[in-house]
Amino acid sequence: MSGELSKSFPRLAPLLALGALFVVAPLVLYASGSGYAFRVATTIGVFAILTVSANFITGTTGLLSLGHAAFYGVGAYTAALSATGFGWPFWVTLPFAGLVTALIGILLALPTMRLVSIHFAVATLGLGEIIHVTLLNWVDFTRGPMGIPAIPGIAIPGLFKASDVSNYFAVAVIAAITVFVIHRLTHSYYGNALRALREDDQCAETMGLDIVRLKIEVFAVSCFFAGVAGALWSHTTGYISPNDFRFNESILILAMIVVGGLGSIPGAIVGATLLLALPEVLRPIGDYRMIVVGSVMFLSILFLPRGIFGEVSALDLMRRQFGAAWRRDGRVGWR
Amino acid sequence: MARGGESPILFDIFFFQQLVNGVAIGLVYALMAIGFTLIFGVLNVVNFAHGEVYMIGAYAGLLAITAFAPPLFVVVLIALAAGALTGFGLERIAFRPFRRFRDEASLKSKAMREATLLSSLAMSIIAREAVEIIMGSNMQPIPQQYLLLQPVQIGPLTFASGQFLIFGVSVVSLAALQWLLNRTRIGLSIRAVANNPVGAMYVGIDTNRTIVATFIIGSMLGAVAGILVGLYQGTIFPGMGFTPGIKAFVAMVMGGLNSIVGAVACALILGVSEALATNFIAQGWADLIAYSFLVITLVFFPTGLFGAARERI
Repeated sequence: MSGELSKSFPRLAPLLALGALFVVAPLVLYASGSGYAFRVATTIGVFAILTVSANFITGTTGLLSLGHAAFYGVGAYTAALSATGFGWPFWVTLPFAGLVTALIGILLALPTMRLVSIHFAVATLGLGEIIHVTLLNWVDFTRGPMGIPAIPGIAIPGLFKASDVSNYFAVAVIAAITVFVIHRLTHSYYGNALRALREDDQCAETMGLDIVRLKIEVFAVSCFFAGVAGALWSHTTGYISPNDFRFNESILILAMIVVGGLGSIPGAIVGATLLLALPEVLRPIGDYRMIVVGSVMFLSILFLPRGIFGEVSALDLMRRQFGAAWRRDGRVGWR
Repeated sequence: MARGGESPILFDIFFFQQLVNGVAIGLVYALMAIGFTLIFGVLNVVNFAHGEVYMIGAYAGLLAITAFAPPLFVVVLIALAAGALTGFGLERIAFRPFRRFRDEASLKSKAMREATLLSSLAMSIIAREAVEIIMGSNMQPIPQQYLLLQPVQIGPLTFASGQFLIFGVSVVSLAALQWLLNRTRIGLSIRAVANNPVGAMYVGIDTNRTIVATFIIGSMLGAVAGILVGLYQGTIFPGMGFTPGIKAFVAMVMGGLNSIVGAVACALILGVSEALATNFIAQGWADLIAYSFLVITLVFFPTGLFGAARERI
């Protein structure tokens, strides 16, 4: 049944998603008639990159990371400092920030690789706070609590100027690339190995998987995209300060993943959208909106323990869309 | 050092006073760390709302002071009562609904742990925001006559009266806790559930009641720490629980996650090293000490400094 459908309409879901991202959403935002809506959408895009990358490490691989916001901060500061100090354009600072963050992530992660479960979570919390304290106090280098102002926006001279719309499209393109890369890593034999590592690392090791290598690779990939998200954040907002990258932010990212559904890429995006859009929608009730966000978080954990779009339904969707092995006439495996 | 140079005594006065400050702040961390440790012991989960219990204790004390200006002793009792109530409510709302399954696998499962971690986190957001709406988000000063900052002169040393109160209340609380855990029936059942929840259930211990009792005891200690710090530092605000909460959490992990003695010892080590470090480095960098201790402990002593040996970490 679904095999027939996916043969006649190949890869329907990605086309729909891309259409929504690049056509429908900009039109709707444009119709709302304010730059503010674009800025909210840009924030959602940055957090979607963050949640998808955090989901890769926490949801798919099962390493509860409580320091993700700090790596996001490393990326943001790398981009901000290289853009304001050296005058590099955004298409250099984005990959540079990603690489620096991945490198720092690997260096910091190496000593924690033998820790499991809550001990790993606590170690990432400590590392995250160490990064935050460093950003806050290394005044000569990061300007400390004053933050870094006047970070150039996303623009290519002669082609387009920095604006809310250009920011939106830049974030949308990077988010689409991120989702594609993480999707290919997650829904593959490699992703199956990661899920095996999550379910039982000792068993996975017995089966011949090099779990330390897998963990380091996952950490590197996840930190790379967190760094890119940070770079986008500093270019789109133009001002960053250490308080954007505190423990609270890590917790917010974790909450987005859990509300959306641990281990599910669409879930991570849904979670980011919900928890960021909700406070905006609830702006009329002003002071109470954070309480509502907390309640939504609580109720969704209570009544939807697998998340709004859980891993099982996400995998089901992916298999229907991409799973050659699920087609009767296919001769290739699902990879 | 130059600051103590003129006096003829052998030790450095400034150094000694920093040591005393460190012990005082370490005892506050210890009171909070015990709450974390007790709850981690019986449920194997981290209670992220513990910092908010501390904040609620401080606000309950302030409300009592502004409402009818009771003596200090009564203020502490009111904070204790507020802590007990908060602990009871927290367990009911954020932890009990996730304890539907009772077999060992789900008691130890990662999904259950993450669910309670996040539900306690959600509760902490709600509590903090609610207090912010009711009481305002700015710093609330403690009325002058309750401030525990009268200097007390002993020889060449000057202490704040609050330090004595912190010492006194902490020592009494720790002694009471030891008595409770080792000499009473409910203490016995707490230790039994911490040791083996399923086994405790099989021998007829009411695990739910025990867990509620644990939350009440842990939250009472947390709340009393909150009001003590409020009286000692002079201001309270809705976000005040965050930093001590993290420090207490670090102390718990350093102590080995379920060792009360370890948690108290590590909280004292933490407080003293932070206070002494301000001699050498700027205040802001002193925060780094707790986190470096945490990472160093986890890397070199993964079971904690006082933890029992376990199969794997």
